[in-house]
Amino acid sequence: MTQEAVKEASFYERLSHRGVSRRDFLKFCGSTAAVLGMSSAMVPTIATKIAGAAESGLTPALWIHGGACTGCSESIAQATYPNVADIVLDILSLQAQETVQMATGEYVEQAQEACYEANKGAYIMIFEGAVMTGLDGNTLRVAGQPLTEHLKKICAGAAAVVAVGSCAVDGGWTRAYPNPAGGMGIGEWMAQEGIGTPCVNLPGCPVNPEEIVAVVVQALICGDLTQVVASLDEFGRPKYLYGSTIHDNCPRRGHFENGEFVYTFGSPEEGKAWCLYPLGCKGPQTYRRCPMIRWNNSVSWCVDSGGPCIGCANWNWVDNNAPFRGRVRQVGKGVIGGPGGVSPVTAASVVGGVVAVALVAHGFGMKAAGRIGKNPTMKTETMKEYDRKRLKKEAK
Amino acid sequence: MAEPNVVIDPITRIEGHLRIEAVVEGGVITDAWCVSTLFRGIENVVKGRRPEDAAYIAQRMCGVCPTSHSHGSAMSVEDATGTVIPNGARLVRNLLEAAEFLHSHILWFYTLAALDYVNPAKALAANIADTYALAQAAGTSTSDFGAVQARLKKLVDGGDLSIFSNGWWGINPLTDPEAADALYNPEMPAELHLIGVAHYLEALEMQAEAARVMALISGKFPHSMTSVAGGTAWVPTPDKLDDILYRLKRVAEWINAAMIPDTLAIAPFYVAALEFGGGCGNFLSWGVFNREDQVRESRYLPAGVLYAAEGLKVEQADYNKVKEYVDRSWYISETGLPPLEGQTEIITEWTDSTFDREGQYSWAKAPRYDGKAMEAGPLSRMLVAYLSADNESNAAVKSLVDGALAKLGITDPTKLVSLLGRIAARNLEAKFIADECLGWVTELAAYVKDGGADFWASYKADSGQGAGLWEAPRGALGHFINIKGGRIENYQVVTPGTWDLSPKDGDGQPGPMEAALIGTPIAEVERPINAARIVRSFDP
Repeated sequence: MTQEAVKEASFYERLSHRGVSRRDFLKFCGSTAAVLGMSSAMVPTIATKIAGAAESGLTPALWIHGGACTGCSESIAQATYPNVADIVLDILSLQAQETVQMATGEYVEQAQEACYEANKGAYIMIFEGAVMTGLDGNTLRVAGQPLTEHLKKICAGAAAVVAVGSCAVDGGWTRAYPNPAGGMGIGEWMAQEGIGTPCVNLPGCPVNPEEIVAVVVQALICGDLTQVVASLDEFGRPKYLYGSTIHDNCPRRGHFENGEFVYTFGSPEEGKAWCLYPLGCKGPQTYRRCPMIRWNNSVSWCVDSGGPCIGCANWNWVDNNAPFRGRVRQVGKGVIGGPGGVSPVTAASVVGGVVAVALVAHGFGMKAAGRIGKNPTMKTETMKEYDRKRLKKEAK
Repeated sequence: MAEPNVVIDPITRIEGHLRIEAVVEGGVITDAWCVSTLFRGIENVVKGRRPEDAAYIAQRMCGVCPTSHSHGSAMSVEDATGTVIPNGARLVRNLLEAAEFLHSHILWFYTLAALDYVNPAKALAANIADTYALAQAAGTSTSDFGAVQARLKKLVDGGDLSIFSNGWWGINPLTDPEAADALYNPEMPAELHLIGVAHYLEALEMQAEAARVMALISGKFPHSMTSVAGGTAWVPTPDKLDDILYRLKRVAEWINAAMIPDTLAIAPFYVAALEFGGGCGNFLSWGVFNREDQVRESRYLPAGVLYAAEGLKVEQADYNKVKEYVDRSWYISETGLPPLEGQTEIITEWTDSTFDREGQYSWAKAPRYDGKAMEAGPLSRMLVAYLSADNESNAAVKSLVDGALAKLGITDPTKLVSLLGRIAARNLEAKFIADECLGWVTELAAYVKDGGADFWASYKADSGQGAGLWEAPRGALGHFINIKGGRIENYQVVTPGTWDLSPKDGDGQPGPMEAALIGTPIAEVERPINAARIVRSFDP
């Protein structure tokens, strides 16, 4: 056996102790290949790379908590292959991860410092939560000084920063109006401070563990993070994770086409898994792979359980997406895109416009074309009061 | 006044950011300060938005217990609008919350707290055959102990301890194992440490399994998408109910087979922890898991207030007696406001004297009930349930608690008001919920089978004020809403964290965690592991 094959065999043996078969694992590699937009021919490569990484030395990493709710750490704790124990015992050497690490107090700082000195320029810095800049950074103090003071050094010494979750990407809800806490994303904060470390943005509230795994797998296949960074979109996100909308891939899309909608929560229509668009679903405006990756070992995802998408991966998502029951009727990039897209203040007013009627018109178009025919529910949806008033106003 | 000679910052293995300062004199803590070092301001973010949007935003206060927050938020809107959720929604919410509690309690005991009692370095010395024998004698589940030990060994041999790095308070457990073990109870056998480590790893899968139940109902975990004001957006289908039942059973079985026997096996080595860490001695529970009448006092774990100093008598919990003080916190808003009128206006400037032990020193406000600091959490809930003779759960809770006390040879139930008691109460509560919740799946299935199809009640949220009083795994939770013109005019949350981690108030009365720290023995000020144990026992 080659050395790689030995490593792989030992990895499978360990998986089997956890009740995970080789077949399960390969299935996971298959879905990861799909997420990465690779052909299934790549599955054996992915399997070998993951198994090899798990049996080789650990990659040094620091996981730093900013203004966080710990939800992204919690999310990682829900990962299945590799699970969090595999990650921290076999893949990454996490010298700092405040939610799980054994050390506390000054001993945390010592461990971080040791990792920094030994791996300067080579470690990965994973950042969860927002950079708190309110009161000159004093809205978050760690070990007696603002976290921003620690970040200057840790960010500058990292090979790359991975911003996990919306708070780390753009401040998330902490940024929303009119909060004085001063939350912002780590990437924009580094730019402001003149720190040139590359940053991979993984927006979403929370991050999906499979999104982190996909980045890790891509890095393993490419050898390092360089190619990951080279393939980011204009918002610093991996294209394969944020290249299509929820609506594009939604399993309920067929019901949208047929004009079969859920109008009230907990209704029989929800029991039939019809489209949640009238309840304010932001699927058409939100770029993420939830319908395919799903959540918590793929048991469900928001829409599958009857929860309309609230667009938690969008730029400044609370300001841009609330009211969550309100329907955003403009489609396409830049609507709820990112910086340079729509500012929070104007977001409410741009809802509408020429393209605004696209989705509603689409529904009626389908009806006119005879595709939805005599659907009884569609009959009751002549036009929502909300839409009627707004269109009337806009026509003036 | 003495300067603190113990400072722990950051406290790890908790949710959020916390600094602890303490004065140790003669081997005992004589004064303590709990410093919440992060301000995020979610109450400000919710203001001005639609009432139905609050649950989506406010739950993001906590990534460990978002489910409880979404319930608290939804209930505040329901209270303000006089909405009663349908029975089907009540059952769905109970199941969702049960999965939240089981997930959180497993995660707390193993992932967060265990490393204060279980020494992974000592597990390397365990004899595998003896470990199986010990597991069998303790009645706890076995695992592939050899594989776990080999995995630990591989990590150690690699010279990189990853998340265990520096975990022994500056002692190297490989070169100086005895000193490292002195942090624990050296009489605890290596084999029991290995069992602890094996279950520490298994627990990762079991908390994830409980979280999958939440995901089935609410789309994903963390952050719940379906517990909306008025009921639930989720509609149970036979296949999903089946899936939920299977997973909850698996978790419940594991709690009975591993978590409870582990607790009873490890506790005898830490009986000293029955003698300190009791805290303020006042307990508050808003109650959790509704019965059909949806009355707080009749919940599966009922609402109630208990002042230990006034004898073991439960009084009705009334939110009108709650006021939040900010005399010692970094706010410029008025002190002593009731939550419905509460404000969150922070200081405008930070200077070298802003952090002041004698003055303001925390971002947490100080909630008081009738002027008193109150402990929130499983110990409060279990004590209230234990003493609420009229509640239907009383017999089950009593037999559970009495049984555990008997097994540990404790005759005085007031000993529960201690560090060890707080831990035991949480784990016993996990068992209580695990045993009860399987019946709720059956009840929900029967409801659906009998044609029940009501999961959401409509409401009109134009104006009104209301309180959503519920429990998060870590304790009493209140969301308070004021609606005007269809918008949120004011929103305040009184979390278990603010109850337990509250700073001192204007009268100098310490918060519950500060009170629990005072009197705690500290063997070495350089390694205040007992202080860390007290802090984590509140699951902050």
